[in-house]
Formats: sequence, structure tokens, C-alpha cells
Amino acid sequence: MKNSNKLISVLVPVASVLLAFAIGCAVMAGLGANPLVALQSLWTGAFGNLRNVGTTLARATPLIFTGLCACFAYRCGVFNLGGEGQFIIGSVACCYMATQTGIEGFPAIVLCLLAGILAGGIWALIPGLLKVYRGQNEMIISIMLNYVATLFMGVVYTNWLREGSVPQTMSVPDTTKLSRIFGLRATTAFIIAIVVGLLIYYFLFYTSKGFQLRAVGLNMTAAEFNGFSVKRYILFSFVVSGAIAGLGGSAELLGTQYRLINGFAAGYGFDGVAMALIAQLHPLATILVAIFFAALRVGSTTMQAATGVPTSVSDIIQALVIVFTVAGLAMVKLSQFKAAIDRIFARKETVAS
Amino acid sequence: MSWDFISNLLLASVRMATPLIFLSLAELYSQRAGLVHIGLEGLAAIGSLVGFLVSLITGSPMLGVLAGALAGILVNMIFAYATISLCAEQIVYGMAINIFAPALAAFIYRVYFGAGSTLVQVTLMNNLSTTLGITSDNFLLKLLLDQTPMVYLAYALVIFTAIYFNKTKSGLNYKAVGEYPKAAATLGINVIGVKYIACIICGALAGMGGAFLTTCYSNTYVDGNVAGRGFIALAAVIFGRWSGGGVLLACLFFGFCDALQIRLQVGSFGVPYQFFQMIPYIATVVVLALIGMKKAGPKGAGKPYLREDR
Repeated sequence: MKNSNKLISVLVPVASVLLAFAIGCAVMAGLGANPLVALQSLWTGAFGNLRNVGTTLARATPLIFTGLCACFAYRCGVFNLGGEGQFIIGSVACCYMATQTGIEGFPAIVLCLLAGILAGGIWALIPGLLKVYRGQNEMIISIMLNYVATLFMGVVYTNWLREGSVPQTMSVPDTTKLSRIFGLRATTAFIIAIVVGLLIYYFLFYTSKGFQLRAVGLNMTAAEFNGFSVKRYILFSFVVSGAIAGLGGSAELLGTQYRLINGFAAGYGFDGVAMALIAQLHPLATILVAIFFAALRVGSTTMQAATGVPTSVSDIIQALVIVFTVAGLAMVKLSQFKAAIDRIFARKETVAS
Repeated sequence: MSWDFISNLLLASVRMATPLIFLSLAELYSQRAGLVHIGLEGLAAIGSLVGFLVSLITGSPMLGVLAGALAGILVNMIFAYATISLCAEQIVYGMAINIFAPALAAFIYRVYFGAGSTLVQVTLMNNLSTTLGITSDNFLLKLLLDQTPMVYLAYALVIFTAIYFNKTKSGLNYKAVGEYPKAAATLGINVIGVKYIACIICGALAGMGGAFLTTCYSNTYVDGNVAGRGFIALAAVIFGRWSGGGVLLACLFFGFCDALQIRLQVGSFGVPYQFFQMIPYIATVVVLALIGMKKAGPKGAGKPYLREDR
């Protein structure tokens, strides 16, 4: 039974991906492109050579952070849809630290990342506090704060830290930039992201606090009766999840973007939620899904050049993956479906014995 | 502050409240049947794109709105099937719709206009005063007549909703589905049927709310033009205590914030305009924070309904 559950939780997303690609191919064919050529150029664009792999990993890095951000909070039963805002506020704090304080080199990198962590955590504290003490809907509040954060970043790059006539901030000094891995587009930010993912995995599944946090997420009332401080865990999960996003924001600024500009981080928050859901809140699976999403995006540019199919077809494929995965996971939980699966496995076991 | 400023502000408030009224009513009908729908932002996005395209092709904004409603229904049927028949978690699926529908809208736009397209504009829906040929500077006349038919429709829907949920048997049955579906089912109400109908109404209203943005407010479509209204509408339903009249007042308040933001931007006062743009969002957070814990929503909202459960 246990094994069948595990198998299903992998099979459903895989089937969803295949189904989404099938529909994507049908759409491409409908647009007059050869789906096989399109898929091939998609693959070459994303993984064709080492340089492209580097670009894919670089694109995946911010998504890993927002994915882990959504994943961590939802493990505690709260829906943090504010990953984007926390990411942005983190990058704004980081940008200020990197360009205005005059510090440079390795200590600057550490301080900048810390500034991002702190800012992201504090930004996430707002919906956390309102949830815990005012009983308010954390989803609406965290989304509203996304808009506020984006507009605030706008003030920063059009006014306060603007450089020259173009609405953008000055660039991070060269010594504060994160170094690239083997000269590829991917930087140490990617390694930081992987480490954060591993840490979260360890915390959630191998520590008692992590167990309690998951218990709160599964059943708040039961956790309360067990004497776990539900409020404290909710606040904690919000702050940590915001801190992860904030770290992501500063790592993205120091590693890839170097300056704040219009459109920075747009859509990363909801992407993160989508990835966490497809990965069924597993931190390591979230990383894989993030790389898959990034590959679709990077590859779609090559695909557009080769076949003329607009890059937004990759957004459709992504969206279909989430639509199918969530529906599929719900379907396998239905009692009729469960009974059918149990029958299949029972038959196999009797054959085996 | 001149009278001109204030009267323009009030007129704009009514205009800006209209899409919110459609979206909030969509949420209200959904939640009253026990379905919490956080995907309105997505439904409005597809409604706004389809409304734009159809009014561009046919030249009729009315048809645009109709098509927007239809698109909203179609996309919402995915939500309906997943949450009602497959019992998927409503919040999670609403989020999926929020990701899927805007992506679909953006894709259709790219495909239809090609990559390097110029800005395409449509003619907006006429105000009643233009149709009637009445021009006046009187504030009250402007308030009553300088509005698109969509505004009157929104108010008519609010009145209908208030009467329907409180005074009709069918409305009470509908509410029962959201409060306690099992009891409703024992009384012979078709719970699943009501939930599906709720999704049709919700999709249509949300699609119309989105279409309003491209047929009555701004004459072009841009990605992200719904700008959080789908979520503000959620807040408006909570603020309005799940009643037609309450929701209307909440929407007028948020509409006022939106109008104020636009008016202040024009004045500028040396403050970066983004701070004014924050007003509707911050107002939403503040309002929610002030309402506090009081729970008044349908008790069955958010929970899946499994017929076999005993």
C-alpha cells in the first residue's frame, strides 16, 4: 500500500507532464510547426551543450528559492502566496546594501545575502502576524503585499537608487557579484539554492521540530491538543519561508541581474507555488521541478527561433502540468480509484506469493 | 480640494467599483455554494482577453462582454470538474486556474497578433448619456447617466442577489448547500447540481468583470491588466460579510481607493506615483486586519462534498 502510494505520487506528475506536452504538440501542429522539430530544439536549447545547461540552471535558481518558499509554508498548513513580494523586498534590501554602503568583496556578499534574508523574513511576518492574531486570510494579504513590494521596487529604481536616464538602479560592484561555476551562466547562487533545499529537507523529515511543523500542517487542531504551539509554528514557517524567498532575491541580484529593473522577478511567486504543488511539497522534488520549468523557458527561445512557435507555448505547457497534476492527485484519492488500485496491487501480490 | 476634484473622484469610484462588483458577486455565488474560489484573477484575465478580441473582431463591445462571460464559464468548468467531481482542494485548484488562465490569455494574444505587434485598440462601450444624446454638467445627472450599461447591470445584479439569497426558496436552498451540504442533500436538494450551477454563474460573472476592463475601461489588452482585482474581490466578500448589499459597499470603498489613486497620480505632489498606486492594496490589507476574527462565511465553504461519506 505504502509503495503504491509512493509510485502514484511520482506517476501522476509524470503523466501530467506527458499529457501537457501532448497538448502542447497539438497546439504547435495547429500553428503549422513540426512538433518533433520543436521538441528537439526545445531540448537542445535547454540541455544541448554545457553552456545551455548553465543557462538553464541559472534560470532555475530563483525558481528554486520561490518554490522552496511556498513548499515550506504549506508544509505548516499556511499558504504563502507572497513569495514574489518577499523575493523582491529581499533584493531591494540587498541592492541597497551592495550599492550604497560602500562595502565590497566577500564580507559584502555575506552582508548583502543577510540583508535579503532579513528583509524577506520581516516582509513575510506581516501576513503571518495578521493570520495568527487577527485570524485573517493569509493568501489575500500576502498577494496584496506582492503588489506593494513590486511598486516599492518601482520607487527604488525610478527614484531613489536610479542611475541615469534609464529607470534602473546602478549595478552591483564587480567584487560583490557571485562567481560563476566553470564560467557558465549559473553562479554559486545555484549551489546556495541546492544547500537550502537540502537543509529544508533535513529539517522537515529528520528533526523533531520539523515533524511538529508538519503535524501542524496536517491537522492544526490535533497538533494543538498535543501541546504544540500552533501559533508559533505558523509564524515561524512564515518567517522562514519569507527568508528563503528574500535570500533568493538577493542571490538573483548578485548572481544574475546585478540591478533592479522593471519586470524583475515578475511571476516568480506563483511559479514557486506551482512547483511546490507539482512536487507535492517535497523540497528536493521542488528543485527538480524548478529545473524542468527553467528548461522549458530557456529551450522555448531556441524553439521560437527554429519553428516560429511563440515562447508562451511553454507557459501553457507549464500551466497544463499544474492543472493536470492537481486534478490527478485529487482523483487518485477518490475512494473508487483507491479501491481499483488496491485490487491491482493485491492481485500482483498474490501472483508474487 | 475643489468640487471638481471631488465630483470626478466620486464618478471614477463608481466606474472603478464596477469590475470589483462583478468579481465579488462571482465569488459570493461560488462561496454560497461552498466553493472558495481564489482563481478569479485568472478567470478575469481570460474574460478580459476574449472580451477584447471579440469586440475588436465584431466591433461590438456588448458581444465582447458576452464572449468574456462565456470564456469565464468554459475555464471555470475545469475548476468545477476538479473540485466538485474529483474533490481537489479548492484553494490549490484556484491557484492552478490563476496560473493557467492568464498563460492561456497571453498565448492567444501572441498567436493572434504575432510577436512584434503594434498597440491595438478597440472602441469602448458607449455611456447611456451618449446613447440618449444628453450632455450635462450636473453632477447627479452625470452620476446617473454617464455610465456604461455594465454599471447598471452590476447594480441590478446586486439587488437581485440580495433578494434571491434572502427572500426566495431557491436562494435559501442554494445557501444550504454552502452551509451544510449533507443536510441539504437529505432535504432533496441536488448538491452537486447546485455546485455546478454556482460555477457557471461564477465563471460568467468573473469573465464579465474581466471583459469590463477591456470593453468599458481601457481600450486595449495588456498582460496583468486585472492587477489583483480578483483578490481584492475576495477581500470585498469578506468585508461585505457575504451579503449582496455588504459586498456592494465594500466594492464601492475599494473602487474609491482605486479612483483616489488615479486622481492623486495626476496631481503627483512630488511624491513617486507608485506610492499612490499602493493605496488599493494597502487599503485591502488594513481593512482585513481591522475586521479581525469574526467568521460569518458559509460553514461548508472550502470543504469537498463526498456523497459516499457517512
